[in-house]
Amino acid sequence: MNQELTTEEKAALKSIAKNLETFNKQRGNLIPILQMVQEHLAYLPSEALRMVAEYLEINACEVYGVATFYNQFRFHPPGKHPVKVCLGTACHVRAGDIILENFERKLGIEDGETTADREFSIERVACVGCCALAPVAIIGETVHGHMAPSKVEGLLMRIEIEKDIAKREKEKSESEQT
Amino acid sequence: MPKLIIDNQEIDVQPGTKVIDAAEQLGIMIPRFCYHPALGSVGACRVCAVKFLQGPFKGVQMSCMIDAKDGMVVSTTDEEAVDFRKYVIEWLMLHHPHDCPVCDEGGHCLLQDMTVAGGHGLRRYQGKKRTHHDQHLGPLVQHEMNRCIQCYRCSRFYQKFSGYRDLGVLQIGERVYFGRYQAGTLESPFSGNLIDICPTGVYTDKPSRFIGRRWDYERTPSLCINCSLGCHTVVSTRYREIVRQEARFSEAVNGHFICDRGRYGFFYASQEKRPRYAQINGNEVSWEKSIQTARDQLNRISQESGPGAVASVGSVRSSLETQAALSRLCQKKGWQGPVYWIDHGQEMNVKTAAAELADELAVSLRDVEQADYILAVGADPVNEAPMLVLALRQAQRMGAKVCFLDPRPIGLPFSFQHISVAPQAMDLILAHLLKETIDQDTIKGLEPHEKKIFDAIPNNSHLVSSNQKLLNAVANDIRLSQRLVIVCGTDVVSETIPERAAYFARLLAKMGKQVGLFYLLPGANAFGAALLSDDAPTFGRILDEIEAGLVRALVLVENDPYGYYPDRPRLERVLQQLDLLLVMDYLDVRTIQDADVFLPTLTLYEAGGFFVNQEGRIQKASIAYQGGHPISQFSNGNHPPRSFRNQIPGKEAQPAWQALIELANENSATPKQGVRADILAWLVKTHPLFSKLPPDNAFPSDGIRINPGKDIHFRSAADRLVVPTLASESADQMELITVDWTFGTEELSTRSPHLRKMESKPCVFMHSNDAAQLDISEGDKVAVRSDTGIVSIHVTITDNMAPGVLIIPRHQRLDWQHLGASKITVSKDQIRKIREEEPC
Repeated sequence: MNQELTTEEKAALKSIAKNLETFNKQRGNLIPILQMVQEHLAYLPSEALRMVAEYLEINACEVYGVATFYNQFRFHPPGKHPVKVCLGTACHVRAGDIILENFERKLGIEDGETTADREFSIERVACVGCCALAPVAIIGETVHGHMAPSKVEGLLMRIEIEKDIAKREKEKSESEQT
Repeated sequence: MPKLIIDNQEIDVQPGTKVIDAAEQLGIMIPRFCYHPALGSVGACRVCAVKFLQGPFKGVQMSCMIDAKDGMVVSTTDEEAVDFRKYVIEWLMLHHPHDCPVCDEGGHCLLQDMTVAGGHGLRRYQGKKRTHHDQHLGPLVQHEMNRCIQCYRCSRFYQKFSGYRDLGVLQIGERVYFGRYQAGTLESPFSGNLIDICPTGVYTDKPSRFIGRRWDYERTPSLCINCSLGCHTVVSTRYREIVRQEARFSEAVNGHFICDRGRYGFFYASQEKRPRYAQINGNEVSWEKSIQTARDQLNRISQESGPGAVASVGSVRSSLETQAALSRLCQKKGWQGPVYWIDHGQEMNVKTAAAELADELAVSLRDVEQADYILAVGADPVNEAPMLVLALRQAQRMGAKVCFLDPRPIGLPFSFQHISVAPQAMDLILAHLLKETIDQDTIKGLEPHEKKIFDAIPNNSHLVSSNQKLLNAVANDIRLSQRLVIVCGTDVVSETIPERAAYFARLLAKMGKQVGLFYLLPGANAFGAALLSDDAPTFGRILDEIEAGLVRALVLVENDPYGYYPDRPRLERVLQQLDLLLVMDYLDVRTIQDADVFLPTLTLYEAGGFFVNQEGRIQKASIAYQGGHPISQFSNGNHPPRSFRNQIPGKEAQPAWQALIELANENSATPKQGVRADILAWLVKTHPLFSKLPPDNAFPSDGIRINPGKDIHFRSAADRLVVPTLASESADQMELITVDWTFGTEELSTRSPHLRKMESKPCVFMHSNDAAQLDISEGDKVAVRSDTGIVSIHVTITDNMAPGVLIIPRHQRLDWQHLGASKITVSKDQIRKIREEEPC
């Protein structure tokens, strides 16, 4: 919740403020308004919650109370590489919770949170449909089966390295062009 | 009347009674966490499960959710129900931190009791516990969310019952969290009740944190004297000081709750600065010597210049016994007084109120809750009598409408109508409302003198026409209402208002409505003072006579004029001119510095006594402890104390009434026993009103109500109530009034270090139109110049108050006593914007 807003998000807040005017000032509109905010920002930052509370003239506590009641609302921006750890029956039996714990420890964030540089976010999911590969974790679009605690660091390192390679190639192509 | 059988015992109950209550009437306490008589049932905790054997329900059901019905047979001890409850406790304890040894609730914790009683002594769950972060909720309430069992009592009290919104329920499932959006001081002035209603240690009392267990304390029924409502409390005492104060249930007065000002307002009793030794000219002497000196000097002055050269001032925070002893002393010696009010306007208002409050009109706080329309005139409940807010809120929840006629920016936790006009215009508006409301038949049936008052109301004025729409709506609502209560303040209102309100109430009663009249008075025992000071001089006149040399001795009994007299330089000058200033008090008041003779007295907790609240209810406070220096202050932190003595240190003080009786007697040999009974006997004999006073051991816990009605001949109504007038209105003039705040103005509660943290900075309230005219913006500092001095203060601009009015709190951190009077008129050029650092 304490993430700094990016410049794009600050701009989005302005358009949200404009959009708010289309709603009547009724408590009943709270959920549609929150959905609208999440559509713009992909999550509900505290600045936006305060704005909604002020607009509807209700206490921020009530807005937050409603928002945290529903699973559809997120309070952390999605990371570039969302990590989903499966805790469905098969993964649970094969100790998926240890995998989750390892990701949490390596990234220094809890389930549901996002790292400060917005690179990774962790989410627990119920079942991803490949129980034969349990325990399973999904990073970005890639499914990693037969996960083990020792593999977690390697996976994260691989993403770092891929990022480095991409960066170097980009620099290379740029220098070639010039 | 449903008749049912619970545990083989038959009982008849009122229709709508829950089974849990029916069992309680039989003396069977079914376990409960979420159920609370004031908050109702939600069925959240599942621990009140009982087995229904016969009747419309069968099997294990929640007894708090089911109304008692004919033919029900209920077992609370059935094996299935007991087993069910046992598992419920185990579920509730899954995430509990098991921190009873360091939890302040331990010892009076419902969860602890139920866990032990339910047989869940050993933990079976091996998993990881869910944990929460706690929030800082201000200086009064300590938060520890891990102990929560999700009974929802706190959010139901905070949001539904009292109407404040900043604390509520967040999250879902096992993550359910009770708290604020962000850490911060709770906005409600009733937040301390969270401590009382929480069945476990989520909210605990912060000031008394880690001081002791419930069984270490001596608990005594007491009263709150921080406003005129007289709420019932229980004080917990340990090592010669009050540690904690909680609400005590009272059917008629405060119900289950009390406000924070009352709850934490007791610290004056154990203040380190509290004077505990008699003094002559600032030097400590023995009690006997002090009394002897005072008596000799008073007698000498009496003989030299006549008894009229001695004047006495009593207090509205003194017990009835002290007030009576002072009256008796003055009567016996022929002294002037006692005067109880420093402000004469306020005195007139209180006496009018006491005289007008006839038995058939007086209502209790509980009756206010039953009303379907409430008209409040010149009353600001949050600041003057906080518990009235909760009563109004209950009425409003049941559908009542609430309308305020007041110049101040009224803030309440629910919606209401507000007619904000200047204090001088209030009488006119009220008279207009009355004229609009009363029907022709009632007018025809009026007595001639009442008719005269009615006819004198002017037909129209520009004030009325500018508020026409709102006034019409209010008048219409009043006509439609059946059970109406008129709440009337006595502080900022002009002196015709209390009488006009009573007149209004009487006329409405003649229209066949059920009408109540509810006055707010300044001071816990203001009603008693009004009854005991029939024809006293005014404080202003006493000062004049001191200046003229006619009065040479002044006796101040638990009253500090420096706190109330609005012209401090004059007061300082005049008190210097006295031959003898005798001060008796239990607070570290400023007058002690000026006193020739000082006698320390006892607080309500050490002396007990009767207090008469604003509806004329005499209530009794018991003696909670024996007085003396608290051990914490006397033993340098050691306990037990290392030096032994055969008397309690600092226990020289006596009840004020004892001192007054010793003064009245010719020699020092006044017995310590039986003095109080003597005074009460005198009171019963002289004032027939008190003849119904029951003996101490049979005094009902809800007190007894005495209402003089027209019995006290104070002055006739028809003299003053004729034409509501409006002082000349000039666009250049502003009315300045001084007011009370919840925290920061009341004499006793401002001595509480914890409530001092709750005080907001003193500021003057100003309407936005006036501010624009004077070119003043929010937060600016202004100097208000009066005839006697200058007050410099920051400005708060608001729209929900009367234009043309300045509102200044009688804040302890503000030298408002340079204004010259409690209500003055200032022209706009007397208000000047000054720089922040500029001295006044």
